[in-house]
Amino acid sequence: MEALQVILTFLKIGLISFGGGWSTVGIIRHEVVPRWLGDEEFRSLIAIAQSTPGPIALNAATMIGWSRGGILMAALATLSVIAAPILLIVGAALLAKRASIDQGALDESLRTTSLGMMIMTLWALRPVSLDPLYALYAVAAFAIGAFTKINVLWAILGAGAFNALAGPWVRSLLGI
Amino acid sequence: MKRKMEPGRGVGDSAETGRPTPLGLFLTFAGVTTVTLGGGYVIVPVMGRALEKRGWMEESRFYDIFARAQAFPGPQALSTSILVSRDLCGFPGAVAASLGVVLPPFLVIILVSKLISDYGSLPAVRGFLEGAGAVVPGVVAAMIWRTAMRRKWNVRKIAGLSALAALLILFPSASLPILLGGILVLYLTEALWKRCR
Repeated sequence: MEALQVILTFLKIGLISFGGGWSTVGIIRHEVVPRWLGDEEFRSLIAIAQSTPGPIALNAATMIGWSRGGILMAALATLSVIAAPILLIVGAALLAKRASIDQGALDESLRTTSLGMMIMTLWALRPVSLDPLYALYAVAAFAIGAFTKINVLWAILGAGAFNALAGPWVRSLLGI
Repeated sequence: MKRKMEPGRGVGDSAETGRPTPLGLFLTFAGVTTVTLGGGYVIVPVMGRALEKRGWMEESRFYDIFARAQAFPGPQALSTSILVSRDLCGFPGAVAASLGVVLPPFLVIILVSKLISDYGSLPAVRGFLEGAGAVVPGVVAAMIWRTAMRRKWNVRKIAGLSALAALLILFPSASLPILLGGILVLYLTEALWKRCR
C-alpha cells in the first residue's frame, strides 16, 4: 500500500504548494521526513533538485518516488504532484469568466503567503547540530545569494565540490 | 485579433497564423526546462524570452499570464506554461506544454538518482552531497532576504506575514487550511483597505 501513500502524499503537496520553488520545501519536508528520508538525506536531495533541470517540487517528487520503488513509483509521485495544479487550472478556466477578482490584492496576498512558506522552509531546514564547517558554507551561500548577482546554483555546486575535495583536509587543519 | 507575425519563423509554427502547434510548444518548453538549472524563478524568464523570440507571444503579455499563474498551486513553470499554451493553441497545446515541462526533468532525475544509488557510498560523492546540502539553509535565507527587500512593507503586512509564518511553523500538519485561510484573509484585508482609503 506504499504506492497509495506516495500518491496521497504528493497529491497533498501539489495542492498546498503555493508560490512554487523554495516556498514548498518546508511543506515537502514535513510530509517526508522522517517517514521516508533522514534529515541529512533530505538536505542533499534539495541541493540536487536545485542544481538539476526542472522545478524543485517536481524533482523532489521524482527522487523520493524513485527511492520508494524505482521508476514506477517515481512516475506515480511525479504525476501526483502535478495533478492538483492541472485540474485547478482547467477548472478555473470554466469558472473564472464570471468571478470578479482584484488581481492586485490577490498578488499581494499570494506574495505574503509564499514568503511565509519560505520562512517555514528555513525553519524546517535549520541544522539540528551545529557543524562549524557546514555553518560556514551556509553563511557564505547566504552572502552570495543575498548580496551578489551570482546564481546560487554555483554556491551549491561549489560547496559540494569544495567539501568533496578539501573538506577532510580543512577539518583536520582546524581540528574539528 | 491574432497578430500576424513574420512567416516561417521556425519549427512548430502553423503556416497561416504564425501561431505554434502543440508539437512546437512541446519542443520549446522541453528545450527550456532541459537547459535551465534551478527552480521556477530561473525557468520562467527564459520561457518568456523563448516565446517572444519565436514570435508567439510578447513578453509583457507573458508576464500578465505569469501573474495569473501565481494564484495556482504547484510549480510555477508548469502553471505558467499551461496557461500560456492554452491561450496560444487551446487544450492540445496545454497538454503538450505540460509534457514538455515535466518530461526532461523527470528523465534527468531518474538518471541522477540511479547514479547516486550506484555511487553514493563513495567518500567523494558523499562529501559532495553533504557539502551541497549544507548550504541549502543559507540559500533559502538569501531567497527570503531578496524577496523581502523587493517589497514595500507596512505594519499590516508584517503582522500578516508573522502570523502566517508562526502558524505554519507551529502547526505544519494543518498547512492546507492555514494557507487557504491565510490567502483569503490577506486578500480580503488588502482589498478592503484599498477600498476604504
